[in-house]
Amino acid sequence: MKRFICLGIESTAHTFGVGVAGSDGSILSNAMRVYKPEKGGIHPREASQHHARHALEVVREALEKARLEPSDIDVIAFSIGPGMGPCLRTGATVARAIAATLGKPLVGVNHSIAHIEVGKLATGCRDPVVLYVAGGNTLITALVEGRYRILGETLDIAAGNCLDSFGIAAGIGPMPQPEIIAREGKRIHSLPYKVKGMDVSFSGLLTAAERLLEEGAAVADVALSITETVYSMLVEVLERALAYLEKSEILLVGGLARSRRLVEMIRLMCEDHQAKLHIVPDEYAGDNGAMIAWTGLLYYMAGMTISLEESHVRPRARIDEVDVRWSP
Amino acid sequence: MLKQRSPKRYRRREIDEQIRRQRTAHEARIIRRLHGIGIPVPIVFFIDLASSSLYMQRIRGVELRSYLANAKQRYIRDVAEKLGRITAQMHRDGIAHGDLTLSNIIIDEHHSPWIADFGLSAFTQDIEDYAVDIHLLERSLESTYPNLRRAFMASFMRGYSSIVGREYASKILEKVREIRMRGRYVVREGA
Repeated sequence: MKRFICLGIESTAHTFGVGVAGSDGSILSNAMRVYKPEKGGIHPREASQHHARHALEVVREALEKARLEPSDIDVIAFSIGPGMGPCLRTGATVARAIAATLGKPLVGVNHSIAHIEVGKLATGCRDPVVLYVAGGNTLITALVEGRYRILGETLDIAAGNCLDSFGIAAGIGPMPQPEIIAREGKRIHSLPYKVKGMDVSFSGLLTAAERLLEEGAAVADVALSITETVYSMLVEVLERALAYLEKSEILLVGGLARSRRLVEMIRLMCEDHQAKLHIVPDEYAGDNGAMIAWTGLLYYMAGMTISLEESHVRPRARIDEVDVRWSP
Repeated sequence: MLKQRSPKRYRRREIDEQIRRQRTAHEARIIRRLHGIGIPVPIVFFIDLASSSLYMQRIRGVELRSYLANAKQRYIRDVAEKLGRITAQMHRDGIAHGDLTLSNIIIDEHHSPWIADFGLSAFTQDIEDYAVDIHLLERSLESTYPNLRRAFMASFMRGYSSIVGREYASKILEKVREIRMRGRYVVREGA
């Protein structure tokens, strides 16, 4: 069978990434540039300008690392959403230009699904309950009757966003800083622990932690309290989802998969339930182009290409809108 | 029946103990109140806070989740409508369940629903909390029986409206829609 090659472009938030993947499951390259704001958090317009500035060199780097010519590419994929509008549009524009120039088909990949599919590819897990935690997303999902159904999610801000915002407010910087500083913490402050079913809510917790800082509490103690509370909530809802769906595998994906403490807690929970834990490797944990390239191939081989006219980005796309035709 | 909240190894002791004790005491308090206004809930006989345990009435029946796997269409409609009425009565009394999923609802031999597991419940006047209950129920259906969702929720809302009235019911459905749209990709301004 012919091996198809896909070039995938990711530009949801901070990262402009370009990856190349083959339909035999090989990741041939994974190049990226990450926008780092001088101070504070992300500004979508500035990030998108950063992406536009670096687009060409990242595409070139991805092709060089894969040792391929543009004509070797069979399909172009890009992240269609969810994400920040201006950032998404930059990636989509680059993808459309390449597809039109080469005369190749275009695929608009759901960003959340890409995180999961690259996790499945890299770990070999089959039918997991997925925890997807990152700067902009907090989601518990599993494939049920052809779609990734949302079992739980955040009712306000994402877990990663909560910890990043805390780190910035505390003057220590975004993740992983809060988790590193937390190791010196001694005392746990009681913070709002808000779980509803398999949903979580973090904004009240963030406000309370910021108030503790204002009142002069030791930064390390508050960092310890907020990380422990956020992770406890996540693991609790994950445990509930595992029991609810009666599955025996867990897959952890997204930027927070790099958190050692979160992984340690999930591991303990899995042991207690005889469930197997799969963790996406670090290189594919954060946003990256390889995951878009691989998932783009899955879409492509299931016949899910789009025309240029229907390739507008969808900042609020949902994971459960996509028919997952490539999975049994 | 003994319901014990056992320690979770993954949580730090300080957080774990506080949560277990809080939820146990809270569940007992809410159940007493609901029992008092005639909502079908298992009665609590005895609380042991030291071990986070409740001794409570055992309801003979099956979880709604397994009930739905085999029950006939008209029974399902009937159960959904009854559940809608019960949920509305609970909300009207200022209580949100906080974990209203198919595994926390028991169906007895008369096809009548009982509500259990009030550890995450709250005394609240916020319509958002009531909407979350409906949202959780709907999503729990969607993730196990996607094809049953529409019909079940229609019957549920019929029962629900019969208690709180059409106007309030549509207000709450609006809120449910809002909740569903939230949380997808939310980053706090400037972060």
